[in-house]
Amino acid sequence: MGRIVVLPDSVVDQIAAGEVVERPASVVKELVENSLDAGASEIVIELEAGGSSLVRVSDDGCGMDRDDAVLAINRHATSKIRSSRDLVGVATYGFRGEALAAIAAVSTLELETAVEEDGGVGTRVRAVAGKIESVDRIARRRGTAVSVRRLFFNVPARRKFLRSLRSETRAAVEAVVLLALARLDVSFRLVSEGRVLLDAPRTSQIAERLAALFGRRFAEELLPVDFASGAISVRGFVQRPADARPAGRRAYLFVNGRPFKDPLLVRAAEAGYRAAINPGCRPSILLAISLPGESVDVNVHPAKLEVRFRDRFLVERAVEEAVARALRPMEAAAAFGSGSVGFRSGEFMAAVAPGLSGGEASPVTEGSLFGEAESRAPLAPGGVGNPIQVFATYIVFETPDGLAIVDQHSAHERVLYEAAMAQLKSGGAAAQHLLLPLTIELEPSELAAFEEHRDLFRSVGFEAEAFGGNTVVLHAVPNPHPRFDARRCFEELVADLTRGRFGAWKNRLERFAATYACRAAIKAGQLLEPVEIRELLSRLFACELPPHDVHGRPAIVQLPRAELERRFGRS
Amino acid sequence: MKFTIAREQLQEGLTAVAPSVPAKTTLPVLGNLLVEATKDGVRLSATDLDVAVTTVVPAEIDSEGGVTLPARKLVEIVRELPNAGVRVSAIGDQRVQIECGRSKFKLLGIPKEEFPRFPPVKFDRPWRVTSGDLQKLIEHVAFAASTEESRPILNGVLWELRPERMRMVATNGHRLARMELPAAGGKDSADLIVPPKALEQVRRLFDPSEELEVARTDNHLGFRSGQTRVFTRLIEGPYPNYEQVIPRENDKIATVDRQMLTAALRRVGVVASDQTHRVRLAFSGGTLRFSVNTPDLGEAHDEIAVSYQGDPLEIGFNASYLLEILKYMPTDEVRLTFKAPERAATVEPVGWDDPASYLCLVMPLRLID
Ligand SMILES: Nc1ncnc2c1ncn2[C@@H]1O[C@H](COP(=O)(O)OP(=O)(O)OP(=O)(O)O)[C@@H](O)[C@H]1O
Ligand SMILES: [Mg+2]
Repeated sequence: MGRIVVLPDSVVDQIAAGEVVERPASVVKELVENSLDAGASEIVIELEAGGSSLVRVSDDGCGMDRDDAVLAINRHATSKIRSSRDLVGVATYGFRGEALAAIAAVSTLELETAVEEDGGVGTRVRAVAGKIESVDRIARRRGTAVSVRRLFFNVPARRKFLRSLRSETRAAVEAVVLLALARLDVSFRLVSEGRVLLDAPRTSQIAERLAALFGRRFAEELLPVDFASGAISVRGFVQRPADARPAGRRAYLFVNGRPFKDPLLVRAAEAGYRAAINPGCRPSILLAISLPGESVDVNVHPAKLEVRFRDRFLVERAVEEAVARALRPMEAAAAFGSGSVGFRSGEFMAAVAPGLSGGEASPVTEGSLFGEAESRAPLAPGGVGNPIQVFATYIVFETPDGLAIVDQHSAHERVLYEAAMAQLKSGGAAAQHLLLPLTIELEPSELAAFEEHRDLFRSVGFEAEAFGGNTVVLHAVPNPHPRFDARRCFEELVADLTRGRFGAWKNRLERFAATYACRAAIKAGQLLEPVEIRELLSRLFACELPPHDVHGRPAIVQLPRAELERRFGRS
Repeated sequence: MKFTIAREQLQEGLTAVAPSVPAKTTLPVLGNLLVEATKDGVRLSATDLDVAVTTVVPAEIDSEGGVTLPARKLVEIVRELPNAGVRVSAIGDQRVQIECGRSKFKLLGIPKEEFPRFPPVKFDRPWRVTSGDLQKLIEHVAFAASTEESRPILNGVLWELRPERMRMVATNGHRLARMELPAAGGKDSADLIVPPKALEQVRRLFDPSEELEVARTDNHLGFRSGQTRVFTRLIEGPYPNYEQVIPRENDKIATVDRQMLTAALRRVGVVASDQTHRVRLAFSGGTLRFSVNTPDLGEAHDEIAVSYQGDPLEIGFNASYLLEILKYMPTDEVRLTFKAPERAATVEPVGWDDPASYLCLVMPLRLID
C-alpha cells in the first residue's frame, strides 16, 4: 500500500501559515499592510497578551463587500494582482493572497468590514481554524476591523515557542514602526492592554514622525542622506557618528517603500562611515532605496522580509557612497544649541513610500520619486575666513551658517588615517632615512606585536631592524609633519598594538591605520603657526569625511549662527 | 627713577631689545621691558626666559631706579614723539610719566622685582670672536636645527670652539649642515649647544666688524660688545657624534648648476605631495632626470645637464630639504656626492673663494615603485 497521501487542506494551510505567521508580530504586520493596501488613513492596532490572546487591526480603508469578505479568507484570494506578470514591480504590500488565509488557519478570526456603497451595512465573517463558521450582516461604517484571537490554539508546538509577553509586544510595535516610517500620510496608534504604546498622527514632516516614534533627541542626531547614482537612489537618515552608541541602534531599510532586512546592506552603510565611529558603536540607519521595479524581486521570502536585488553589488555601493556623502558636509559636524543641522524634512516620505501611497499600484519608476538632490558642497578650504587657534587645541573659523570649531588632534587624525589607509593599500609611503638611527628598547610582548605588524609598519614608513634582544633600530621613519616625533609615535603604536587598544576593529589595516593616525597626529596643547593651521584645514577638507575623527568623536563642532542670534536676542 | 634722554638714543636702545620680547606669553611681565636708570645710563632689558638681551644707552640721570613697562606701547610712544629730549620719571614703583615737548604720557607698568633675573655670566676670561665670522656660521648652519621638541639637543646648534678654528653643526636627523672657519679664538676648547633663537639675536645685534666677547658660567652663555649683551641658557649635551655619519666613501659625484637644480626641483615639486615632497632623481651620464608621482594628484618630469661620474643612480629626496640647502650654498655650482639610494648624500660649494669650509648632508627618502 502506498505510503504517500495528499495532505488535507487544513494541514496544508497550517504549513503555509507557519511560514507567514511566525508570531503575533507577523499577524500585526500582515493586517496593517492590508489596511495600507486598502488606502486607510487611520489604523488602530490593539493587543492583548502581546498579541497571543488578541490582535485587532481596524482601519478606515475601502472595506470589502460580502462576497469579497468571504473570499478574502481563502488561500490565494487577492484583489491585488491578476497574473504573474503583475508581480514585476508590484507596488502593494500584499500580492499573494495568502496572509488572511494563513492567519485564519491558526486562530479564531473575525472580519468586520463595510464598503461605502452599502450605506452603513456591512459583513461579519467568523472563522475557526480556517473554517468559516458564520457570515452575518452588521451595521458599520466604511472600513475593516480584523480580530485575531487565540493565535496558534491548534498548533501547540508554535504556541510553546512564543517568547515573553514583553518581547512579543516589542516585536509587534517594531512591525508597526517600520510601516509608520514608510507612511507619514497615515496615522498609527498601537494600544496594548489599554496602554498607548505608539501614537503617530499623520504628518508631512519626517522629523515629526521620527520624534513620535523615537523621541525628539534621536531625531536630532540624524543626518539626511540624499544620493542618486544611475537608476538607484538612496535617501533617508543616518546617525551622526559621534552619537552612535554601543547598543540600541536602529537599522531600517526600505526598498521602493517596502521594509526589508538585509545585514549586508547594513554593513555597506556602516562601511560608509569610513571608521568615523568608535569601533564598539553601531550607528542608526534609516535608508530608503528606490530603484526600477524590475531590478528587485520582493517575492522571495514567505513574510516578504527579504528581497533579492538583480545587481546587489551596485546597490551596496550606492548605499555605502550615500552614507559617506551624508557625513561629508559641514552640516554633518556635531552641533550644539538649537537652530541646528540635520533635518531637511519632507523629503523622506517621497523617498520611502513612492509607489505605495493610497491603494493604487503605480509602477515604480525613477524620477517620479525623487526631488532634486540638494547639493551640499563640502566647505572649500578657501572659505575658512581667518582661523584662529584657541587653548592650543582648537581651531575656530567662520562658516556661512555659524562658527566651526575644529579639534586639531581629531582633525589631524582623520587626515593621517585616510593617508595611511591609502598607503597601506598601495604598498607604502615614502620613508625618511635617518642620519642618526633610533634605538628602541621593547618588552618581549611588544616585540611580538611589532613582528606581527611588520609589513604594516613598513608600509607607513617605519624601517626597523631587530638588533638582538628586545631592541629594534629604526633606520627610516614616516615624516607626516614637521613636529612629528618618530620615536614616541613608534613606541606608542607598538604599545597600543600590544594591548589591543583598537581591538574592536576587525579589519587589520583599519586598526593599524587608526592607531598610527592617533599616535602620529599633532596633540592637543600644541601651539600651531598660522600656516600650519591653514595647511591642516585644507588637508582636512580634502578628506573623505572631514567632520569625524576615527574614534567616533567629532572633528568639527558647529555653533550655528541661529543659536548665537537666539542667545543675543536677535531672532 | 628720573632721567632725560634724547629720543634717538631711546629709540636705538628699544630697537635692540624689543625684538626679544616674546610675541605670546602667559607671564605678563615678559611682555614688558625692564627700564633701569644707572650711573652708566639707561639700561633696557628684555627676556623670554631662554634668551635675554640688554643694552645701555646714554642719558642724563637725575635719580636711579627701575620699573618694567609694556614693550609694545613704549615702542609706539617713542616712535611717535618728536626728536627732542624725553623726560622719564617714576611715580611710585609701577607708574611712569613720559614727557617730550608738550606731550605727556602716563604708563602703568609692573614693579621691577617681578622681572626675571638672568643668572650673571662672568666675562673674566672670554673667548674673542669676530662678529662677522660668527654671523657667517650662524647664517649657513642654524637653519638645519630641529624644530621638533622630542630631542632637545637637536633643537640646538653645536658650536665647537678650538684654539685655531671654530665650527658649527646643526641637524634635525634628516639633514645636517656643518661649517668651519679658521679663527684665533684664544684660550681653551669648548663644545656649546646653543638655542638658535639666541644665535639669531647675536646675528642681528652686532656689526660684522665688532669683536665679541663670549663667556660661559655654568649653564649660561653670554655675548657682549660695547654696551649690548645677549645671554642664553645652554642646552645640555652631549651632542650626537655627527662625524661618524658624514660619509667618506661616496663614489658617485655630480657637479650641478645651483640655479638650474633649484628651478627644476621647484617645477616638479609643484605636484609633489605636501606631506613628503618626494622627488626622484636619476643620474646617468650627463643628465639628471627628475620625476614626481603623487597618487591622486599627478606626475611631473624634467631633466637638466650635469657632469656626473659613477654608476647610474636613482635616489629619492624630500625636495624641500634639498631646496633649503641649495638656498644656503654660497657658489653658482655645487657638488653632490652619493653612495647608494638609502645612504647619506652630501652637498658642497664648488670653487668657493673663502677660508671657510661648508658641507651639507641630506638623507634620502625611500623610493617605492
Ligand atoms: N483591511 C482590508 N481592507 C480591505 N480589503 C482587505 C483588507 N484586508 C484584506 N483585504 C482583501 O483581502 C484580500 C486578501 O488579503 P491577504 O492579505 O490574504 O492577501 P493579499 O494582501 O492580497 O496578499 P498577501 O498574502 O501577499 O498579503 C486582499 O487582496 C484584499 O482585497
Ligand atoms: Mg495582505
